Order: sequence, then C-alpha cells, then structure tokens
Amino acid sequence: MKSTDETRWSRPLSRQGFHVPLAREFVTVVLSTIALVVICRLVAPSSVTYGSLAGSLPFAAIIAIVGLGQLLVVQQGGFDLSLAGGVSLAVVISTHYPQGDNALLLPAVVLAIACAILAGLANGILVSFFRLNAIVATIGVNALLYGGVFAVSGGVPKTTTTLLAAIAGGQALGLPNTVYFALATLLVVSFILKKTVAGRRFEAIGANPLAARAVGLRVRLHQLLAYVYAQLLYCMAGVLLAGVTREPTAFQGDSLLLPSVAVVVLGGTSLLGGRGFPISTVIAAFFLNQLSQFALAVGVPYSAQTIIQALALGFGIGVYSVRWTVNVVRQPRQLEGR
Amino acid sequence: MRISVGQKLALGAASTVMALAFSNLTQAETPSWCGPKKASIALLDGYGGNSWRQVTTASGKQEALKCPSITSYEYADGQGDTQKSISDIKAMAAKGIDALVVFPDAGQAMLPAITSVYKSGKVIVPYRVSAGGKAGVNYTQFVGDDFKTDGRNWGEWIKSILPKGGNLLFLSGPAGNSQGLDELEGLKSVLGPEYKFINPEPFDVTNWDPALTQKVLTAEIAKNDKIDVIVSDFGPSLVGALPLFEKSGRSIPALATSDGNSLGCFWTDHQKNNPDFKLFTVSTENDNARLAVQWAVAEATGGKPPEETTFKGPVFENSVTGKPNPVKCRADLPGQIYLSAELSAEEQTKAINTK
Repeated sequence: MKSTDETRWSRPLSRQGFHVPLAREFVTVVLSTIALVVICRLVAPSSVTYGSLAGSLPFAAIIAIVGLGQLLVVQQGGFDLSLAGGVSLAVVISTHYPQGDNALLLPAVVLAIACAILAGLANGILVSFFRLNAIVATIGVNALLYGGVFAVSGGVPKTTTTLLAAIAGGQALGLPNTVYFALATLLVVSFILKKTVAGRRFEAIGANPLAARAVGLRVRLHQLLAYVYAQLLYCMAGVLLAGVTREPTAFQGDSLLLPSVAVVVLGGTSLLGGRGFPISTVIAAFFLNQLSQFALAVGVPYSAQTIIQALALGFGIGVYSVRWTVNVVRQPRQLEGR
Repeated sequence: MRISVGQKLALGAASTVMALAFSNLTQAETPSWCGPKKASIALLDGYGGNSWRQVTTASGKQEALKCPSITSYEYADGQGDTQKSISDIKAMAAKGIDALVVFPDAGQAMLPAITSVYKSGKVIVPYRVSAGGKAGVNYTQFVGDDFKTDGRNWGEWIKSILPKGGNLLFLSGPAGNSQGLDELEGLKSVLGPEYKFINPEPFDVTNWDPALTQKVLTAEIAKNDKIDVIVSDFGPSLVGALPLFEKSGRSIPALATSDGNSLGCFWTDHQKNNPDFKLFTVSTENDNARLAVQWAVAEATGGKPPEETTFKGPVFENSVTGKPNPVKCRADLPGQIYLSAELSAEEQTKAINTK
C-alpha cells in the first residue's frame, strides 16, 4: 500500500490533481452507489422518492461530516473512538445550555467548539507526544467526554431551540440545509488536503511518518492537529444533529461511530494511513444511508434489514480486493503496487 | 383557677374541634398501606439517566414520604450497569434498609441478588420489568404493568375514529421488546382484519431513539401513500419525525401513543394545518413506581397492601372527545415532563433539572 502512495508523491502536483477524479477508489464508490440507486429504483422505488431523500439526506450529511473527521485521523494511521462522546457532548451543550432560548444558541455553540478543541488536544497530545495507542487514548477521552455529557445533561434530553431546528432542519432550494453544511465541509477539507502545502504535508506524513520526519516535517504537530480537526467536525455534526432531531437523546453520538469508520473504508482510504479520499467518503456516506433506507423500504423484518446492510457493506468493501483492469491500462506503472 | 360554664363549654368545643381536625389530618396523612412499624426504604434504579426515570423516582419518593412510619429514604442509580445494580441492592440491604423497591432493568440477571435479599428477611418489590421468579419465593411482590391494556385502549379509540378500518403503522422500541409485543396483542384483540398493519411484523424497530424513529418514518411515509393512524409507545420520540408529513405535503395522521408535554404542545401548534391529526394518549405510567412503593411500605410497616399488583395505565388525552382530558400543553415548562403523572408539573421540572 505504502509504496504506491510514495510513487504518487513523486508525481507533479498538477498532474496528481488532474488524476484524482479517476482514482480507483472514487470510481468504485461511485459505481457502487449508482448500482445501489438502480437496485432501489427496481426493488424499493419509494426509497428514492423526493420525500424519502429529503427525510434521510440530513442523516447522510451528518454521517458524511463525522466521516470526514474520522478520515483525517485515519490518514495519520490513527483511529478516533471519542467520536461518540464528542458528538454527544456537542448535542447536549447545544440543547441544554440555551434551554430553548435562541439568544443563548451562539454562546452554546462557541462553548461546544471550545470543548471540542480541548478534547482534540487531549487526544492529539496523548497519541502524538506520549505515543499512546490511538484506540486506547481515544477510548479514555471518550469516557471523559461522556463524563461531560452527564455533567451537562444528567443524561436527560432537552428540546432543541427553534432557531437551531430552523437552521439544521430547514431546507433551501429543495435540499436540506445539512447537505449544504456537508458540501461546504467537503470543499474545505478537499481544498486544504489537496491544494495547500499544509495539506500535502499532512498526507505525506500519514503515508510515511519516518520519511516525513527525515525531510524535516513536523510530524507530531500534524498528527496532533488531525485529532483537533476531527473533534471540530464531530462538534459540527453534533450541533446539526441536535437541530435535525427535535428532542435528541444524550447518547446520540453512539450510533455514528461505526458508520464513520465504514464510510472511510468504503471511500477507499487505507486504515494504515496515507492518502485520503474526501469526496469518496462523502459519497460513501450517501451510499450507507441509502442502504439503510433501502432496507427499511423493502419492509422486511428487522433481522433481515440488518443482514441486508451487513452483506451490502461487505460487498462494498470487498470490491476493493477485485483488480481493476481499466485503471491498470490507464495508469500501468502507478497501480501495480496495489 | 375558676372557669365559668361558658368558658368550659368553649374550651370543650375548641378541644373537640382540635381533636377532630387532628384526626382528620392524621387520616389524610396516613394511607391504609402505611402501618405503624418504623421502616426505612430505598429505591433502586437500574438506569436513571432520562427524564422519565427522574420523574418516576421523584414520584416514588413522594409516595414513600406520605407514610410517617418511613424513617429514611435512599436512592441508587445502577447507571445501566448490571454489576453496579447488583452491588447497589446488596449494599442497601447490608446498610440495614428494611424495604427495597427495585427497577430490574437487567431482567433475569438481577434475580439472584433480589432472591438473596428476600431470603435475608427484607421486603423487596421489583417493578415494571420482570426478573422472573415468584412472589413469596424470590421476592415479596412483583408490581408489573399492563401493556395489553394500553394496546386495547388504543384499539378502541382507533375503532371509534376509523370504524371502517384502515392502515395502521405501529412503532415500538428495540427488536422483540416484550412491551411492544404485549401492546400489539392488545391492539389485535380489539381490531379486526379490516385494520391493516403496514409495518413489518411485529413492529417497526426504533430503539426509542428519535433519530432512528425519524429515518424509519421517512421510509414508511415514502412507501405508503395512505397511513391512517400511527401507533407508538413513546409519543415524544415522534415529535421530530412528524413534520416529515408536512414536508411531503400530507396531513399528519391520527396518533395513538403515550403522553408527554412536548407532544401535547406539538399537537397544539400543528393541529390547525393538519386536519387528520387527532391525538389519543395513555399515561406514560410514572405512577407505576407509586404502586410498588405502596406494596413495599405496606409489607415493611405492617400496613394493608394495595389490592392491585399490576399498574393499569389510564387513558390520558383524547383530542376528539376531550375525555378524560383534552390535549394538554404547558409551553412554559420543559418538553420532557409528563402531565399524566400525579407529581405536579412544577415538581417534575425541579426533578429533571436537579442534575
């Protein structure tokens, strides 16, 4: 895996940018998604109607945002299990602090962001400076964050303020607002990762920290910051989630951890770190969400729904093990390493 | 000291009045389930982390303190951890508490601890969730509730608003939960085949999670052009999802569910624009804890135990007839309180804001 990433770095940036849309990972996830939509149209047409999409896209958008956060950590060879606590804390701060008062929403969001930065720093320092295993460190921070969730909420849900419900739950030009938030996040993450010096360094460090260190890059700082960026994205997802569900529970983040990892993997990013695929990750979030809507729309019992989802997810990931001759022909040298 | 006849009479009258008043007072303060023997009581929750539990706990406490023989009241929260719940029970017994009221969330796993406390001579009353076992062998008394009655109440109402039958959508919590299955049995005992359940058998799984409820409802709305009634055993979790009907240009359908302030207020705000939106609720049953406390106190203090061993949740709101209550909304108070509970709305607000 890594050798391929390194050969990529040797290519000029301009060429690389040009070739990103043709990456195998991107094509795979797009084709899988198209296939899923076609199957939906044939087997469960109601799952691709406007009403169904309008209702389910906000959740896809939230999965996309947490997925992008997880992506940044995975790129550094890490793993962030504090996602559940981070999202839940943002949810309870943005609902409990204002107590329904719109005027207090902005201070609440600022407070949530401050907490996210602190949590990200804690994760980052533990992992990059104290060299703790990422899974161990982030489980610990997750417990701390849940301590915060209980301190703020006592585990009790609160109703969202009307302003937040209007912002996160509203629509513009026929699309849920959350989708715009997700797209904006995608643009920012993609641009920084692919087009800025800092972003290129970030990916290079993920691909090979030792080599990066040898050429004088600040490996630890970038690794630390990955956790901070991730927490900021979880925070954003949490605030949006609080707006989308009128009365969110205090543990709303729990059900997002697994999907966040799934979309990163489906998007084609290696769990060993290195090159990231933000666009593919967002499409994978749509794929995953559409998959659960499909399973619901088919109207089979819950057990069968779970099996359908697991099988399709297994298929989606399994596709990467199939060799793609199309791409091999297009870029014969670069892809041989895979 | 000389006292005139008139003064004597006045004094006599005054003392009689006082005595009467006092006896009235003691009568009002001492329910029949409260005996003369002094006792301490503890309420043990398997999981105390939501507003329903906090209101229920506060209700149990209020009930216990109605009895002057109760010398102390303790509370422990198992925090969803079976090990902690078990050690809480044992610790309370070891501390010398006479009567324990237990919400055994972990079910059968709690039975050994409950049995050992019972065998050591304490009064122990599990309630709401069955831990298995038998009264008089493993515990003093189990105070369950009756979800089939809820199902029947919903069914009767659905028949009254939809006499010719129609499409029903039934949502419950986690897959296979016994509450949902009992409710379905109650529903089916009243409703004939002309009422069609359009959800997958036995119910749509929501885990009582508002986000999942929203996703499930999205799929069902898109799939079914005609949904006449939604039946749900956790009304407030629907509040975020119901606007989906409005978004797809349809009226919110009739709703048979359990009560909650946020739901009542939602109905109040949305009924004008949604001609089909009728609301019928049964009590969310916070007062289940009261019956369990009555049993525990009666057994521990030598009072007369209540006749009932099952709490039957009463019907609460009916937007069509206004009986027994029209839909209630206290917009000035949090959405997470339950106006069907005996505990006053203000005290509930205090209970959920303590942490």
